[in-house]
Amino acid sequence: MLASVRSAVLVGVDAHPVHVEVHVASHGLPAYNLVGLPDAAVREARERVRAAILSSGLEWPQRRITVNLAPSGLRKTGAGLDLPAALGVLAANGALPETVLEGVGVIGELGLDGSIRSVPGTLVLVDALRQAGATSVLIPMGNAAEAALVGGVRILPCRSLAETRACLKDESPWPDPPSQPAEPTATTPHTPDAPVVELGDVRGLPGARRALEVAVAGGHHLLLVGPPGAGKTLLAQCLPSILPPLTDDEALEVTKIHSAAGHPVGGALLRSRPFRAPHHTASAAALVGGGSGRPRPGEATLAHRGALFLDELGEFTPRVLDALRQPLEERVVRISRQHSALTFPADFLLVASTNPCPCGLGPPGCTCNEALRARYRRRLSGPLVDRFDLRVAVGTAPPDAALGPPSAEVAARVAQAVTRQRARYRNAAWRRNAAVPAGALLSGIPLSEEVDRILSEAARRRQWSGRGLAGVRRVARTLADLDDTDDVTVGHVLLAAGMREDVLA
Amino acid sequence: MNGDLSTDRALAARGSPGLARTMARRGTRMLLASDPDFPISDDLPQRPGRLFMEGDRPEVLRAPRVAIVGTRAATPHGLADARALGAFLAGAGVSVVSGLAIGIDGAAHHGALAAAGVRGDDPAGPIGVVATGLDIVYPRRHATLFERVRRHGVLLGEHSFGVPPGRARFPVRNRIIAALGDVVVVVEATSKGGSRITADRALDYGRPVFAMPGSRRNPAAAGCNALIADGAQPLLDPSDILLALGMTQGVRRGWSNPTPKRSMTSAAVLVHRALAGEPAHPDELAVRTGLPPGELAVAVEDLVDAGFAERSRGFVWPT
Repeated sequence: MLASVRSAVLVGVDAHPVHVEVHVASHGLPAYNLVGLPDAAVREARERVRAAILSSGLEWPQRRITVNLAPSGLRKTGAGLDLPAALGVLAANGALPETVLEGVGVIGELGLDGSIRSVPGTLVLVDALRQAGATSVLIPMGNAAEAALVGGVRILPCRSLAETRACLKDESPWPDPPSQPAEPTATTPHTPDAPVVELGDVRGLPGARRALEVAVAGGHHLLLVGPPGAGKTLLAQCLPSILPPLTDDEALEVTKIHSAAGHPVGGALLRSRPFRAPHHTASAAALVGGGSGRPRPGEATLAHRGALFLDELGEFTPRVLDALRQPLEERVVRISRQHSALTFPADFLLVASTNPCPCGLGPPGCTCNEALRARYRRRLSGPLVDRFDLRVAVGTAPPDAALGPPSAEVAARVAQAVTRQRARYRNAAWRRNAAVPAGALLSGIPLSEEVDRILSEAARRRQWSGRGLAGVRRVARTLADLDDTDDVTVGHVLLAAGMREDVLA
Repeated sequence: MNGDLSTDRALAARGSPGLARTMARRGTRMLLASDPDFPISDDLPQRPGRLFMEGDRPEVLRAPRVAIVGTRAATPHGLADARALGAFLAGAGVSVVSGLAIGIDGAAHHGALAAAGVRGDDPAGPIGVVATGLDIVYPRRHATLFERVRRHGVLLGEHSFGVPPGRARFPVRNRIIAALGDVVVVVEATSKGGSRITADRALDYGRPVFAMPGSRRNPAAAGCNALIADGAQPLLDPSDILLALGMTQGVRRGWSNPTPKRSMTSAAVLVHRALAGEPAHPDELAVRTGLPPGELAVAVEDLVDAGFAERSRGFVWPT
C-alpha cells in the first residue's frame, strides 16, 4: 500500500514543499527505511513515529516500510516531518482512509506518547504549503496561532496523534485553536534581554543624539566614537524607541525570517523593527549566517529592516567584520554551499561604537602616541569605516547637562522624515535617502547652485572620496527632511560634513 | 696629531674591513672625538667616542644649532608650534637638531625643511640624530623625511650599521641631541618621556632650555610646565631663542599668527572666542555660543577656512 503526505521543510529563511511517500510492502522482512537526504533529526523520526503510533493504541505494521522524501535532491532538516510520516504509515497501512489527506499539508513533531509538538518556522512552512496548493494544514496546537497569520488556508490544530486520526476520520470535531496569542509582548524581534532605554533619560550629547536621529530617519550607518562611559551604548539602546514601525509588507517579511529562525512569533505579525546587539565574540556564521548543517540566518538577517548594533567594534575579529562588507553593499547575504546557494535578506541599519584610542580618552586628554593610535585604528579596515556615513565623536556630558527630548518626540520627527522620503521616492526603487544610488544622486537629491558649490569646497578641503561626497549629500537630505523642508541649506550640508569627521585619525 | 687620527681611522677600518667597505659604499663618514671639528666639545660628560655621519651637507654642523624635541603623542597645537618653530629657526639661519621621531621631532624637521632654501648661502640645515645604525630607518613612516634630511643636512648616529631600534637606546641617544644643540627647546612633553631626559642632559651640559607652556588640561603640556617650574625658560617668543644664541635681532618678532584670508562672520568670531585657545567638542561649542547646530557648522567651516581653527578627531582646535 502506498500513501503520500504533503509537508514542507525550511531552507534558509524560506520553506520548500516536500512529499512524504510511505510504502508498506505486502511481504518482506519487517524494516523501516528512510531515503531522500534526511538529516539526523529526520532520520531519528523512525523511533518517534513507531513509539507514537504504538502509544496511541494503533498498529505498527510488521512489514517492510519505505519512507521517501521527495524531491530527493533537497536536504531535509528538522523534526516537522514526524507527523507526515506517521500519518503516511497509518494511511498506507489502512488505518486512515487515504482520501482524507488530499489537499492537506501536515507539519508536526511527535513525542513518544503520541503528543504533537511545536516546530520552528510555522509561518514560512504554512505559506509554502499554501503556495503549493494545500487548502488546509495540520499544525501543532502550539503553532496554530502563528499559522493562522497565513490567510487563505484552513488551519487544523493537532494535540495528539490519536485525536488527529479521529478528527481526520470525522469521528470527532477539530479542537478549537487558541483564541489569543499567549504572550504578545514577548514577540519583539530584539536580541533577548537587550535593554531598551528612553532617550529622555539621557543627559546632554546633543551631537550624538542628532546623529542617531539622522541614522534612523535616513538609514545611514552610524559609528559612535568616544571615551568609555560617555554614553555610546546607552544611546544605541535608545534605537528601538525611535525606529519607525514596520509597514504591513515589511512586518510579514520580518515575521517570516524570525519564524524561520525558530523564534516564538505568537499570533501576531511583528510590528517593531528588529534590534540586534550581538556580542563581540560572535563568529562570522553568527553574524552573517551560514554555519554547519542547515545554513541559518545570522544577526545581519535577523536585523533585516531593523538595526544591528555592534558595541566595541574594534573588539570584533577583523575577518568577521569584513564579512559584513558584502551585505552592507548589496543588502543581502549570499551563502554558497557545494550543493546550493542561498540568499538571506540583510537590509539593516548598522550602528557601531568604539573607543577612539587605546587609552580610551580621546582628545583633549589622550596620551596615546600616534603609532599606538595607528595600530588601534588598523583593527577596523578602511573600507568598513568608509561605509559609515555618520562618524561622530561622542563628547562627555557634564553632570548638570539637561535631559534630552523624549523618544516620542524624536520618533515623531523620524516618522515625518520617513513619510517625506516615501513620498519623494514613490516612483523609485528605493525608499530612503541612504539608498539613493550614486547614479541617481544628482537628480534624486538636487542642490541649489550655492549649496552645491559649498559642498564641493568642503569636499576638496577634506579630500573626500566619491563615496564620501555622496554620503554627505544623502545625510544633508535627511537633515532637511527632519527639518520638514524641501530645500537643502548650507547649514544642512556643513552639518552633514561635520558628522563625517575622521574621528579615528 | 694628523698621524694619530689616520691611525685611529686605520685601526677602525682594520678592526672591521666589512665596516670600511660598507662605509665607502654608502658614503658614510666617521667623526672621531679626537677630531678638531668634532661637533661635541670635549668637556661634556658621556661624550660619544665617535659619530657616524651621512648626508649631503656636513656644513650644517657649523651653523648655530638648536635642538627641538617633544612627545610622540603630540596635539595638533604642538605639531603646529613645532613646525612654526622649525621654519622660524631655519629662516634665521639656524640648524635644527632633532630625533626624527613621530610627533614633535618630525614636525620640527618638516617645518625646517619647508623653510630651507630661503637663504641659499647659509650653512643651516636639518640634523637628524638616530638611535639605530644609519642604515636603518626608524620609524618606517619617516622614510621620506630621512631622505630629505640626508639631502638637505646630515644624519648622525653613534651606532654601527645594522643596530636595530631598542628601548634603551633612545634615552642614550638623547644626550647627543642635548649636546649638539646650543639651545634645547621642548615643545610638548608628557610628564614622563624622553624629552624630559633630553632636557635634563641639556641642563647638565649647561645649555639654555626653553619649554613651551601649555594648558593644564593638555597632558602633552604637563612635561613642559613641569620643566618651567624647575627653572626652564618659558618660550613666549621664538626670538628669545636667537637671543640665547647670541644672534640678537633687537626686536621680538613674535609668533607669526595666521592672517585672516577674509573677514569672518560674527558667528565665526563668536566660535573663535568660545574656543578660547583650547580644543573643544562641537557639543561644548553649541552650549557656549548658543548657536543652533546648522549655524554652528557654518561658523566652524568659516573659521577653518579662514585658518583660525582646524578639525581633528571630532574636535575643533584653534590654530
